[in-house]
Amino acid sequence: MRVVIADDEPDVVSFLKSVVEEQGHVAVSFSDGNLLSQALVRETFDLLILDWNIPGKDGLATLEWMKQSLTERPPVIMMTNRSAKKDISDALNAGADDYITKPEDRSVVAARINAMLRRNAGAGAFDSKAVYGKYSLDRIEQTVTVDGKTIALTAKEFELADLFFRNADRTLSRNYIMETIWRTTAALATRTLDMHISRVRSKLDLQPENGFRIFTVFGYGYRLETIAKAV
Amino acid sequence: MSLRIRLAIEWLAIGLFATVIVVTALSWRGAADFDNLLYDKLSAASRPPADTQVLLVAIDDQSLSALGKWPWDRSVHARLIEKLQSQEPRSIAFDILLSESGPTIPDQQLARAMGSGPAPLFQPLHFSSPGSEGRAYDTVLPTPTFMQAATAVGHVNILLDDDGIVRRTALCFRADEDGPAWPHLVELVYRGEKGSPSPVAQADGNCRTELMIPYSRRGAFPEISYADLLSGKLPDDMLRDKDVIIGATAAGLGDNFPTPNGEGGLLSGIEIMANMLGALRRDDFIQPLEMPWLVGLSLLPLWLLLVGFLRWRPRTILLMSLASLAAVLTVSAVLLAKHVWFPPSAALLGVLLVYPLWGWRRLQAMSDFMESELTALEQEGDANPLPIPQNRTTDMVGRQSEALAGAIDHMRDLRRFVTDTLADLPDPMFVTDPDGKITLTNDLLAERLARDISGGPLPEALDLMVSDEHRPAVDSYLAKSDDSTASPEFVRFMSKQGLTFVMRRSEVRSQSGLLHGHIHYLTDITDLARAEAEREEVLQLLSHDMRAPQSTIIALLDRDIDDNAKKRIEQNARRTMQLAQDFVDIARMGETEFVGEDVLLADLVREAADSLWPLARERSIKFAFWDSSNAAFVLAEPDSLQRAICNLIDNAIKFSPDNASIAIALSRDAGQNIVVTITDQGEGIAPDILAYLFTRFATTGEKKGRIKGTGLGLTFVRAVIERHGGSIVAHNDERGGASFVITLPVAPDG
Repeated sequence: MRVVIADDEPDVVSFLKSVVEEQGHVAVSFSDGNLLSQALVRETFDLLILDWNIPGKDGLATLEWMKQSLTERPPVIMMTNRSAKKDISDALNAGADDYITKPEDRSVVAARINAMLRRNAGAGAFDSKAVYGKYSLDRIEQTVTVDGKTIALTAKEFELADLFFRNADRTLSRNYIMETIWRTTAALATRTLDMHISRVRSKLDLQPENGFRIFTVFGYGYRLETIAKAV
Repeated sequence: MSLRIRLAIEWLAIGLFATVIVVTALSWRGAADFDNLLYDKLSAASRPPADTQVLLVAIDDQSLSALGKWPWDRSVHARLIEKLQSQEPRSIAFDILLSESGPTIPDQQLARAMGSGPAPLFQPLHFSSPGSEGRAYDTVLPTPTFMQAATAVGHVNILLDDDGIVRRTALCFRADEDGPAWPHLVELVYRGEKGSPSPVAQADGNCRTELMIPYSRRGAFPEISYADLLSGKLPDDMLRDKDVIIGATAAGLGDNFPTPNGEGGLLSGIEIMANMLGALRRDDFIQPLEMPWLVGLSLLPLWLLLVGFLRWRPRTILLMSLASLAAVLTVSAVLLAKHVWFPPSAALLGVLLVYPLWGWRRLQAMSDFMESELTALEQEGDANPLPIPQNRTTDMVGRQSEALAGAIDHMRDLRRFVTDTLADLPDPMFVTDPDGKITLTNDLLAERLARDISGGPLPEALDLMVSDEHRPAVDSYLAKSDDSTASPEFVRFMSKQGLTFVMRRSEVRSQSGLLHGHIHYLTDITDLARAEAEREEVLQLLSHDMRAPQSTIIALLDRDIDDNAKKRIEQNARRTMQLAQDFVDIARMGETEFVGEDVLLADLVREAADSLWPLARERSIKFAFWDSSNAAFVLAEPDSLQRAICNLIDNAIKFSPDNASIAIALSRDAGQNIVVTITDQGEGIAPDILAYLFTRFATTGEKKGRIKGTGLGLTFVRAVIERHGGSIVAHNDERGGASFVITLPVAPDG
């Protein structure tokens, strides 16, 4: 697949290029926002990794432009030096599909790229049973088994866990989660989601030791991250 | 010329001028008409009753028509006197001049009748003027025949006042200095009765005294006609024991005079004598005030007023002047009742003179003063010129008054301007007088001190304001700035409230250079001082904390890059980034308002630990969670709060030995708080840095603490926790590890 890397720092570009190519994809790089825009009109890409501070037309402006000018647009991963969560949620709300804060580990970057490409390719199996690391999900019984032990979950908790596992390494907005699980965003106390996630986290003991962690993107949503065993 | 001297000179001048006028008026009797008029009116108020022992025998018109044309044959008089004597009167005053000899027989008849007794008979003498040989008077005695026949001879002079009215008399008369002193005829009558001179005559040793006659009502004395007496038409006992006065009353005989009781008509000489005799007997002659007394009494109200002028307000002066006039008149009336005559006109004149004079001089002085002050004010380069308004509808003084009112208005505006300016100064200030008493403060100072210090002494105010540590510096600045120009321009001190101030003092001097006090300006430089300290810290950060990891990286690059070197380079790079992030976060935190969102604290803490899992795993460090927070939410800025907790866990990992377990516990305390405790298994915190563990860069410098190089992290942590309304403390637990305890308020339900 064709992945666009839009950044003006050669070191960052070559790092990302190596990650993308390692995963068996084609990497195309731009160091100017305006040139990028022209290319996006002419060509089709499967993923855009966009730097916040790219010269010419910056990241946020490019996002806005894409929303207005492109009928079909690739998913966008925003790259930023800024770790201020406000900036991140701004980017996500402006149309970015995910984000990576520089510097990030090679494995994390790879996982995020793959998750994005998978979604774009219509990923997400609906087999009756699925295995994610040490967690086995039985979608018919709605149970999760870890190390041979079955963990009892409520229907909502199972749906939440399933949603996360299926969308591992993708950032999900709160609205998306609530619409998917509760079929509504209205009349739902904001704390309800937090508390469900908290319970899923404790019951399944989702922590790096077990190969997963739930990451809160404050002001936007959540992400289940898979932890690479070896760095 | 100063106002005081001018006042003294003018006061004295007015006093002396008035005195001269009064004394002149007294000696020239210039105002005698008024005095006389007043005397007449006053004396008419109470007239003595007529003396009933006096009987007048009048040679009236009826007698003239009965006995023929005057002068009569002296035998007629002889007959009358014989008739009188036969009725035994007490005395006879025969007021008919017998200074020329007549036909011998009648003269002898009369002399015989006069001398036969039993009643003493007194004869008048007279004086002709001008006298011979340059003398003022020639004494004209009765002829020797009659001189011999009469018991005694006395004068019957009439004293006419300037207005021709008879008010006064003299009981004694001397024609010239060396001549004999002739008693008045009535004095002789009195002596004849009493055997001794009257008290007033005795008092008049020099024969100079003039007395004023207290007149009885006109016509009050019984009077009989000469002709009737002679013809025997009267009852026999009528004359017994009376003092008989015989004289002319007929209009043509020229012995009638105008008197105060005449009510326009004339009083005969014998009635005047009757009045005098009555006064002698009663001893109630009215004595004119002697000159020294008169002068004194005339000047007294004038000078009393003058003294009063120096103290009283203008209205009082007017009232007191009017009162003085009344008082003078009253005193005059009262004295008259006591038979002493005080002519008041000179005293009145003095009072009337001195009031307008004083008013005029004061008005002039006031006018001059206003003029000069307004001019001076104008010349002082005041912002607004102060012209005297050209309003023609009023006089000069009126216009000056308007100008003065304008100037006062202007001053009032200026004063208000100054007061408002002081009150609105952006900095606290206060003013002291030369004695060091605080006379003025502005609102800002009261606000800063949370109390009003005006009116108090300076040291007391300084006690309130200046911290004990900086007090000597402030005192020495205040002591120095008085005398030397080389003193420092300001003093910097820390207040007891922890604010930093710069104090400047400047002198307030009047136009003439007199020291009025000092203005003390305080400038609150707390923010500046803090910024200064922060700048120092930034420099510290840049010069040491930021450089140190970079230097390490450069040193590592110098040798073969193996895995170990790579890892250390990464660690140092991350440390620099962490520092930069912390620094930016701290700076940003000071600039923005706290905007919290609902955060499930347990998950936030877990994720913080998750993010540090790679670090922990490298050294086989485990996290041990105890969560009894019961899914408590806090109102948080999740971003910074999570990083704060990360910092603490990061530290815990750093200072724990390999394979250690880091305890992370969440619990609810008794109140609405959630407590997060992070305890490591390291060597604990050195006691000497526990005290300032959370102050910025506490670990930089020579201190070799266990947390060297993490200084900014803990400062950041404390700033974040406090921003969240919580608190953080650190201590070493019983097993020796460091334990950080965060307390955060639970968010309200919602």
